[in-house]
Amino acid sequence: MSVPTASNIAAERAPTQRRKHAPGHGALMRFVALALTPIMLLFFIFAFLPIGVSIFLSFYRYSPLDMNAPFIGLRNYTFAFTKDPAFVTSLGNTLKYVLIAVPLNVVLTLPIALALNHIKRFKAFFRAVYFMPAITSLVAVVLVWRYLLDPQAGLINGALALVGLPGRAWLGEPEYALFAMILLSVWQDMGYNVIVFLAGLQTIPETFYEAAMVDGANGWQRFRHITLPLLSRTTLFVLVLTTISYMQVFVPMAIMTRGGPLNSTRTIVLHIWDQAFQYLKMGYASALSVVLLLMLLAITLIQLRLLRSNWEY
Amino acid sequence: MKKAMTASTPSTKASARRPSLSTITLYVVLSLGAIVMLTPLFQMIMTSFKTSGEALRVPPTLLPDRPTLEAYRTVLTQAPFGLWFRNSVLVAVSVTALILFTSSLAGYIFAKFKFPGRDLLFTLLLGTLMVPFPVVLIPIYLIVNNLHLLNTLFALIVPSTVSAFGIFLMRQFIAAIPDDLIDAARLDGASEFGIYWRLIRPQLGPAFGALGIFTFLSSRNDYLWPLIAINDQDKMTLPLALAFFNSSHATRYDLVMAAAVLIVLPVIAAFLFFQRQFINALVLSGMKG
Repeated sequence: MSVPTASNIAAERAPTQRRKHAPGHGALMRFVALALTPIMLLFFIFAFLPIGVSIFLSFYRYSPLDMNAPFIGLRNYTFAFTKDPAFVTSLGNTLKYVLIAVPLNVVLTLPIALALNHIKRFKAFFRAVYFMPAITSLVAVVLVWRYLLDPQAGLINGALALVGLPGRAWLGEPEYALFAMILLSVWQDMGYNVIVFLAGLQTIPETFYEAAMVDGANGWQRFRHITLPLLSRTTLFVLVLTTISYMQVFVPMAIMTRGGPLNSTRTIVLHIWDQAFQYLKMGYASALSVVLLLMLLAITLIQLRLLRSNWEY
Repeated sequence: MKKAMTASTPSTKASARRPSLSTITLYVVLSLGAIVMLTPLFQMIMTSFKTSGEALRVPPTLLPDRPTLEAYRTVLTQAPFGLWFRNSVLVAVSVTALILFTSSLAGYIFAKFKFPGRDLLFTLLLGTLMVPFPVVLIPIYLIVNNLHLLNTLFALIVPSTVSAFGIFLMRQFIAAIPDDLIDAARLDGASEFGIYWRLIRPQLGPAFGALGIFTFLSSRNDYLWPLIAINDQDKMTLPLALAFFNSSHATRYDLVMAAAVLIVLPVIAAFLFFQRQFINALVLSGMKG
């Protein structure tokens, strides 16, 4: 076989392709089949099949301890909404958590990104600082916050005492526990959205601002009429992803409160985990996870629709 | 060049004209925010050098009175920390290597081959991205149980060997590689796998970097699945082990913080060295929506 040069490849290619199509095609398909089959098999077992099994199990009273698993139709679903007040509470808590934490996250991260986009010096330093908690193991973060929130030895009550305010048993009082976890979550993954907003801001052409300044637009007007509209795609992206991720919040509650006090920090995923792996009611827990899936799909579709209508500028 | 000059003129003029007060305000606000971001991490590190008594003192101290390594000594002698670390690295490295391989191979096939059902298959793959892990938790537990893998490190590796997001990312990246290169290699007699391994794979550096960092970090930080799949102390990975350690030393903040530092520090050190790559990886990871 001669060494191929660019010229002899180019000269040969067209006729060879036509001539060799049939046998070459067979080899290609063999490669596709050989390489893709194991990968797709893994997908089938660990992605497609579980979705089907989840939906299937949700119609049965299934427990791994019980050989007998009767088909009960939709009764797992009706039970969840009518006879399981802890689940309804967990729905409410999760929605409350999302409705506070997502706006709080955006209201904090967008200005930080704007500021970082504006400054020239120490930009990389500040970006690293705001991003650092996001790469930190969430369990470690939760344990640090458990210490910060400690009613006696915690830094938060210590700081409040310095300015003469009374401390709280943050994790022991139903009114405060969920809020403490909102602060923890926002602190932990703020950096991520800062970076996404920053990336969005950097795609806005400088010339737009120059034109606006020539026209005499002030800072607020430039923000309102250039930055905000051109950032709406990024904002949509941030809102959808943050909402989806916060809807699944589990780790802070699982480690710090186990859903207490008085179920005030019980979230949907914590309840699913409890039902499936503490009480082994896996059919019932599957129904709850299908409810979660439907909620996430609905939220995604609504947010996409809402923001799409705002894109037509 | 001309564009760059016109772009810089108004902004330099503006900053020269305007009182730098607004810029100073920005720096002050950003610095206050930075203090809020760093205080918990600072408190974690400082507490790890305190005695158990000082860690519980009211009012709390910021800096340790008499810094001691006692907490670290206790953590490292009382808990199988080396083993937990080894388990974590083993799982994260295996998962990352496997996902990089399967994603790039499948990504190559979806980008460069035409076969019946390709687009449907790809759409189905992308569809799985809409399904969050808690939804499939119970079936995956039952499947892994049926494979007799529960309570082994394989339970943490086997379900995570393929990634729809990884395939999507690699497909985007590989689509930009010219077909001519592949055709030339084929004419040259290279085997199909040889083309993937020797021609495609070496060009995927940046994509491997991003997907690799993202996969490694999410595997290393995962808590929910190990919590369900692993029971034995000596099979635990770091986040699970840390929570377990916390539950048996709940009031020993000095020990828990020392253990947390041991877990967090390697990642933070790697982040400070490879900041750009980390940030790119995590921004990219968000694109899976």
